[in-house]
Amino acid sequence: MHRADYVIKRGFFALVTIFVAITINFFLFRVLPGSAVTDLSRVPHATPALRHALTVEFGLDKPKWEQYILYLRNLLHGNMGISFAYQQPVSHLLIADLKNTIPMVTVGTFASIVVGVVSGVLSARRRGSVPDHISTNIAIFAYAFPTQWLGLMLLILFAGILPAGGMENQFLLTPEPFLQHLGDIATHMILPAATLMLTAYGSFTLVVRSSMLETMGEDYVLTARAKGLSDRRIVWQHAVRNALLPMVTLIALSLGYIVGGALLIEVIFSWPGIGLGMYTAIGQRDYPMLQGGFLILTISVILLNFAADLVYFRLDPRITE
Amino acid sequence: MSLLEVNDLHVWFDLPGGGQVHAVNGVSFTLDAGQRLGLVGESGCGKTTTILAMMGLLPPTASVAGEVLIDGQSVLAGGEDTVRRYRWRDVAMVFQSAMNALNPVKRVGWQIAEPMAYHGIAKGTEARKRAGELLEMVGIPAAASERYPHEFSGGMRQRAAIAMALACRPKILLADEPTTALDVMVQAQILELLTGLCDELGLALILVTHDLPVVAHICERAAVMYAGEIAEIGPVAELYHASRHPYTRLLFSATPDLYGEERVMSIPGAPPRLDRQIEGCPFRPRCDVWLNRCDGEHPAMRTVGPDHEAACHRNEAVSVL
Amino acid sequence: MSLQAADPQAAEAGASPRGGFLLDVLRQRKAAVIGLSIIGFFIVLSIIAPYVSPYSATAQTCAVYAPPSIRHWLGCDDGGIDMLSEIMQGGRISLLVGFAATLVAMIIGGGVGILSGYFGGWLDILLMRITDYLLVIPDLVFMLVIADVWGASLFHVIMVIGILEWTTTARIIRAQVLSLRERVYIKRTKSLGASDARIIARHILPQVGPLLIANTVLTVAIAIYLETALAFLGLEDPSVTTWGTILEHAFDRTAISSGAWWAIVPDGFVIALVIVGCFLFGQAIEDALNPRLKVSHFSMRRWRLRPLVGRGPDAI
Repeated sequence: MHRADYVIKRGFFALVTIFVAITINFFLFRVLPGSAVTDLSRVPHATPALRHALTVEFGLDKPKWEQYILYLRNLLHGNMGISFAYQQPVSHLLIADLKNTIPMVTVGTFASIVVGVVSGVLSARRRGSVPDHISTNIAIFAYAFPTQWLGLMLLILFAGILPAGGMENQFLLTPEPFLQHLGDIATHMILPAATLMLTAYGSFTLVVRSSMLETMGEDYVLTARAKGLSDRRIVWQHAVRNALLPMVTLIALSLGYIVGGALLIEVIFSWPGIGLGMYTAIGQRDYPMLQGGFLILTISVILLNFAADLVYFRLDPRITE
Repeated sequence: MSLLEVNDLHVWFDLPGGGQVHAVNGVSFTLDAGQRLGLVGESGCGKTTTILAMMGLLPPTASVAGEVLIDGQSVLAGGEDTVRRYRWRDVAMVFQSAMNALNPVKRVGWQIAEPMAYHGIAKGTEARKRAGELLEMVGIPAAASERYPHEFSGGMRQRAAIAMALACRPKILLADEPTTALDVMVQAQILELLTGLCDELGLALILVTHDLPVVAHICERAAVMYAGEIAEIGPVAELYHASRHPYTRLLFSATPDLYGEERVMSIPGAPPRLDRQIEGCPFRPRCDVWLNRCDGEHPAMRTVGPDHEAACHRNEAVSVL
Repeated sequence: MSLQAADPQAAEAGASPRGGFLLDVLRQRKAAVIGLSIIGFFIVLSIIAPYVSPYSATAQTCAVYAPPSIRHWLGCDDGGIDMLSEIMQGGRISLLVGFAATLVAMIIGGGVGILSGYFGGWLDILLMRITDYLLVIPDLVFMLVIADVWGASLFHVIMVIGILEWTTTARIIRAQVLSLRERVYIKRTKSLGASDARIIARHILPQVGPLLIANTVLTVAIAIYLETALAFLGLEDPSVTTWGTILEHAFDRTAISSGAWWAIVPDGFVIALVIVGCFLFGQAIEDALNPRLKVSHFSMRRWRLRPLVGRGPDAI
């Protein structure tokens, strides 16, 4: 019963944080001075009828607190206004973008976790050796190079070999069969996902390594050795299993960094995701898109954090509270 | 042939700046099935290192010389990779603080069953069943095998650690301060448990401790270690009433009564540094009855009674200490 | 149950950190020296940049995207401006932004941490809740939005980074203050009538010092990274030259298809170097403050056997 409390508590926290993010969004775009520019009804080339409809929908002529209620209600219905640039509902556009971002980010993050864990464990096993030093230093540098620079470097290096931008081949005359289309997307995804992997894995390596070193000093590792178990079993069943716990926490903390990195990557590779959407919105002064993008990304990170809480909860039987 | 023979065991540890510490210096003793031997001495005298060396549980900075024979087989001769065969199956260990000696993220039953599967004694459901039986044997309900270590009290954890040590039916059990971290009531229970198990299963036991009443309680014989050497070894009663080494006498005489509080060491001075060769008897600086030859000549181990040996020059004199 | 003596460095550093602590860290840890040297080098370079840079960082002195040559070691960018000079002078602004933003973050974070840890109670709960929420919201996205609405300028960039990066500092400082607060001498000082402010200033701040420095340095690294990101997204004053805008220009003005790798590679290297330097130095301090006993019960290397040198038991 104690354990269920934890889940409820973290779930509640996630909800409150979402609420805080929503409120911050409102504050930024409606309350702060200069928000006349971001006025949702000022869709360029809009008909007076549309303008009026928006004004009513978002209560733009009403006092702020009434606007806030309307804002919340609209959000619940998924209404985030009309994009200034595309004259379409923001939510539709953003969901479409999100569908492109998710696979790329998932692949890249997954790759970074795998590479980070494996290199961290191997480094810790051979602590002090030359491979350890090399691996650790590469990880530090990978982490230190700006994400956009890594992306640009990959572009330079693989310009002729792998697609340099976009998610799919735009120039086909006839539509491709499904599998081939998937393959096309996959090849386009290689560079962006690889960039994300390079920029994120460094911190994972370092944390896993340090966590492993700490774990290897624990008495239960000596017990495992005393039982006559093989090196591999000692490392993976006992040491790694415990050392991964801080890793989960780190992934949760890195989500913000990963999202930021993904944004930069989408810009470099013209990957049609939510990051590129927001970037374009800046150039086009498309404030509803910006607001919407911020909300969706923030809420995603909050939910993913909650998911990480659940994973940690599953892995560590000591969590009660 | 004895079950266990330790012949002239030496252990050196490399020091970070160069040089070595001679932590165990020529330790020899034997042990038969069902016997209980206490290994006592101040912190740093080498008693823990001795039993760790018996299982080969030494760090890479260690060098070992001498023999450890179990049923006539040399356990250490082949290095770490050979000694694994004997671990847990012929000789097992119970560590000082079971809180840390048990893996916090694995269920207790799993941890008990793990070496069984690994050494080919039992697998799967059968192993789990036997784990439950072992828990019952140490006074814990079998159902508790589904629990995690942090859910147990200190005493229960130590019992579980004992059950775990018995998993592969070893002939020899090494216990390193098994009751030091526990309160007095629980201490007594654990000691009773150990005694009972040894009698029932014919186990040989080496109990390492700095707590003399504990030794008196359950061991028939004891070895007193000082500066990495055995100063005296013999029946516990003799060590108390007819000791033949000044260190033993001072150590045991300060105990108020057999079941009293743990005694505070009151011999003035401190043990010698072990990173240098010691001339003469290592106890000489703190001895109250030293002779001239104690300065330059290292005392040999002499038989001073049935199954009773001591390393002190005074034993050459006709008169009793 | 440790088998070896604890790391002697660790044993010493375990004592309460004092003024000479940083010097000890430098003396004992090579990484710290390397890190500090790198940081120092770039600070000095930034200061003397206007005097030592070979050419102007704003006026055209060569052909557009001229490759590296004897006269222009790092070639030139899309405006025919010498790359080396640009990087030297761009560093001044980048470091300035990095340090200024960190200063803002330190003040806010340190303040929140100290107040929260020292006074506890509802203030602590409130501040920590706010910290928790801010911690979850993705940095760059948030900054992007604020910077865009607010307008693109260096000052805004500095403020935006500072306002969002104080949270880890607050957490760390608070933890330190909490542990210090329980120490006997603080309680005694308080019972003798010392004011809270005095206690904070005289007793808590000095102890928190080294940790704060470590965190500051690490935050500088983050700030520099974020500056380059914001610049890349076009949210910084484009007329200013920073390491970030150099990359942004390179991307925007087709450096890659022009094959002008020199407009990209060196810039990334200096950014990475500074960040690595900060990381090494900051991490070294943190490691020194949290000594980890170098005990390990697992190693790929093995203990060794020595042949017994003829010494039988000399009993009877």
